[in-house]
Amino acid sequence: MSAETVQTVIDNLGALLLFTMILIVAAGQIYRAIYAVAAQSFLIAVAGGVLATATGNVDLWVIAGITLTVKAIVLPWVLHWVVRRMNVRREIEPVIPDAATLALAVVVVVLSFHLSASLGPVRQAITGNALPVGISLTLSGVLVMATRKTALTQMVGLFASENGIFFTAMAVTQGMPLIIEIGVILDVILAALVMAIMVLRVRSTVDADIADLEELRG
Amino acid sequence: MIGERSLVLVLLELALLVLLGPLVTGTIQKLKARLQSRQGAGLLQPYRDLAKLFRKGTVQADTTSGFFRSIPVLVLAATMAAGALVPVIRAGPPAVPLGDALMLLGLLALARFLTSVGALDAGGAFGGMGASREMTIAPLVEPVLMMVVFSAAVVAGTTELGALAAHRGTSWILGWHAADFLGFAAMLVLLPAETGRIPVDNPDTHLELTMLHEGMLLEHSGPGLGCMVLASHTRQIVTLGLVSALFFPAAVAGAGAVSLLLGAGAFAVKILVLAVYLALVESSYAKLRLFRVPLYLGIGFVCALTALALRIL
Amino acid sequence: MAETLLWVLPLVPTVTALLMLTTRDRRILSGLDVAGSAVLLALTLVLARDLVAGGPQALGVFRVDDLGLVFLILVAVLTFAVSIYQVGWLRQAVALGNMKPESLRPYFALVHGFVATMVVTVLADNLGVLWIAMEGTTITSAVLVGYHGHHHGLEAAWKYIIVTTIGISFGLFGTVLVYAAAAAGHGSAGAGSRSWSAIMKVAPALDPGIVRIGFIFVVVGYGAKAGLAPMHLWLPDAHSQAPTPVSALLSGALIKCALLGIIRFQTIAAAAVGPAFPMQVLLVFGLISIVVATPFILTQHDLKRLLGYHSVEHVGIVALGLGFGGSVGTYGALLHVVNHGVTKALAFFAAGTAIARYGSRDMQVIRGLLAVAPIGATLLMLAALSLAGVPPFSIFVSELMVLRAGIGDGHWVAVAVFLAMVVIIFAGLLHHVGGMAFGKPTAAATREAEARSPLLGMTLLAAIIILLGLTIPGSFDRIFRGATEIIVG
Repeated sequence: MSAETVQTVIDNLGALLLFTMILIVAAGQIYRAIYAVAAQSFLIAVAGGVLATATGNVDLWVIAGITLTVKAIVLPWVLHWVVRRMNVRREIEPVIPDAATLALAVVVVVLSFHLSASLGPVRQAITGNALPVGISLTLSGVLVMATRKTALTQMVGLFASENGIFFTAMAVTQGMPLIIEIGVILDVILAALVMAIMVLRVRSTVDADIADLEELRG
Repeated sequence: MIGERSLVLVLLELALLVLLGPLVTGTIQKLKARLQSRQGAGLLQPYRDLAKLFRKGTVQADTTSGFFRSIPVLVLAATMAAGALVPVIRAGPPAVPLGDALMLLGLLALARFLTSVGALDAGGAFGGMGASREMTIAPLVEPVLMMVVFSAAVVAGTTELGALAAHRGTSWILGWHAADFLGFAAMLVLLPAETGRIPVDNPDTHLELTMLHEGMLLEHSGPGLGCMVLASHTRQIVTLGLVSALFFPAAVAGAGAVSLLLGAGAFAVKILVLAVYLALVESSYAKLRLFRVPLYLGIGFVCALTALALRIL
Repeated sequence: MAETLLWVLPLVPTVTALLMLTTRDRRILSGLDVAGSAVLLALTLVLARDLVAGGPQALGVFRVDDLGLVFLILVAVLTFAVSIYQVGWLRQAVALGNMKPESLRPYFALVHGFVATMVVTVLADNLGVLWIAMEGTTITSAVLVGYHGHHHGLEAAWKYIIVTTIGISFGLFGTVLVYAAAAAGHGSAGAGSRSWSAIMKVAPALDPGIVRIGFIFVVVGYGAKAGLAPMHLWLPDAHSQAPTPVSALLSGALIKCALLGIIRFQTIAAAAVGPAFPMQVLLVFGLISIVVATPFILTQHDLKRLLGYHSVEHVGIVALGLGFGGSVGTYGALLHVVNHGVTKALAFFAAGTAIARYGSRDMQVIRGLLAVAPIGATLLMLAALSLAGVPPFSIFVSELMVLRAGIGDGHWVAVAVFLAMVVIIFAGLLHHVGGMAFGKPTAAATREAEARSPLLGMTLLAAIIILLGLTIPGSFDRIFRGATEIIVG
């Protein structure tokens, strides 16, 4: 693949990633958000595969494979399992109106592109639009976490956030060392498991959503 | 094929659109029926309905003004005028100056406005409710359509649909710019709204709680209703044509009858694919509550805005 | 010898944690706890001696220099003090029913796992390893924060894990951006050079634009973990809900490890874009933290939350010192890291024993401590006075140095705000602690004798505070100077 083709493909995948992010931000039901984040992780894995083919970097294949199994299959499955266990109300409760969240997401995207357009020659070290798309995903993920009061949606936001970092990291020329990426993914899994256990424990003791507890103040 | 479209060709394309409009509706209804394990009415049922309507007499409420009678004709005329702007068989600018994509959107908006005015004129409760709902949704739909057109126009340097389609040429998905994906996503989100389908509207119901477009047609009857229904069929195929012109022009090379036939065939396939998409969406989603609709359309809005941002930044 | 130590050091707490899983007996567990911490402390001191003699040591992804050593010593000393303290504390907690005997085993294992991740954090040379270890500290300590299992603890743990995980996602992004800058400057030659020391060598040639963005990401990210306002939201909750020994480790050691992460990137940013930019960023965050913490300190009723907000203030002071910069400011900031770490651990220890005695964290309930537990009350007052910045305790020295650096550089507004807040907090703290120490003991207080091991742990820390307040021993001074040189250049 020529460098130009790779860049086009990565840009296009970036656009699809932004689309999944918009779906996550606008998702009215937790299931939709989970499916969207799974799709997003799948796209990240595809991007890894494309970059691996283009650069001949075997590490990227491994990373793409791990991303596919862990973030596109296992973690969504865990979330799904917790949702079923908890029997949660299916609607996501926003702190601010959904429309406002969407508007903020647009601001985030535009700012990210503006920011990265202001960078100098270093842009060549990152394939295509991977940097602004990565920043957009990361910040929008945080936006989702900040504007939702249900624990599982906050977890979805967290995963989306990390997807953004992964996308950028993969597209950085030379990428991250394999061992580091594996360590990062391991940490993500562990954090997700700890969170899932906490959510279930709170649900079993006080029948409330852990993210909705607001007794510690001041 | 790419090249100027002569006036004859434009008129031919328009005739094709108007004639095929009801068939698309019939196809979607049939597909939906099959997906729901029903036999369903035949593909030609919309034609039969139209024929029946045009044979009937007109009954009109006492409260309506004289303007009410002319509304169906005006709506149909505006919609057909919009149809004249869509390239169907060939991609390329028309030989005579007709208008651009903005004109098309304006004409569709005009038709929408006239429909609402008619609904209000009759003074019926359902008509007014339908009109008010329609006017809630329209401001969310139209800017998105415009932004999608703009995001394509920024690179092509023109807003004329035929020229836009010609500029894109034969490039398939692999040749798409990142913005095209988001623009297309926005269109996919909007299509059900623009064609009055689930999850935004429900074309099959006359329940006051759920209907938007149908509510506005209640006071019309006979040939007038026939015009309105034909206008909705046309509007639907025009919108689908707009999507295919913006994203899948797939212009066929060569001149002469063969290439024209090929172009027509390609158009039929593209419309069919979009019709299948609409049928699938209608069968797999429930209608949204009215106050959730703006958020749903917001997805399209954000996608289109992002697409535009991608093009400009 | 010294190189192998770099691998052995993180292994010590790891092995200790695994050994904990082999027994259920509280005495054996506590013994293992103290022994493991003692070995860690001893090996740290050996490493320190080697380092002073032979300069920085590196092995694989690990590297230790004077800067890392400052933090390593802090972690090792606090771990040792915590181990001694919790012998008696846990016996009491089990007796009071605050801890179930069967949950001691995972508790000890987690504490040592937590320590292991912190040791890796301070020894990491590879910035990716630094990040992984930092996330590791979050995971282990989040479980510890929610250890009491009631929903307040879990709420605090959730807030903690969410806020800090978002935070260090930002940190990872910053790391990726700095990598990208390094890769851009050097192409394949830069490959594999993911370590701090390698990036430092090429830092002056890095693209300033991307390093600037990366540094802001890192400060926001690791700053969340360090408790810098406005990313501090988790801190008072986590510090107040965690078991007391864990609170001491969180406040004394963990947030300092996050500061080390920021400092590592600060040096890179200073080399790439000039020292002014990172200093300015840290100055702003430092001031915000100090100002935000003050009103909460004044109006607080919960003793442990009070100490939590104090941590926000003192992390702000460290950031302020780094922001003023220069050798004096940086030296002061590093000294403050150690001083505050030790003092805050002591404060949590003293608070923990008082809380156990009264069965409440409410400072309105804890009254007349001096009458029921004279030694504990004295230590609590000593810690409070030190936190407030009274001479001859060590925090006074480091605050003075930070102040001098600010005046020397002419940051008048910052200095004025800093002084005003410190004075207000001083008054507020004296009011709170005066009320707890003196006055008539409330009926809730038990009058049983003070347990020995907690007192021993506290006395150890108190001795360090007073020693560092009076004089800085020569070898310490050398390490601090070396560390300052690394930052200032």
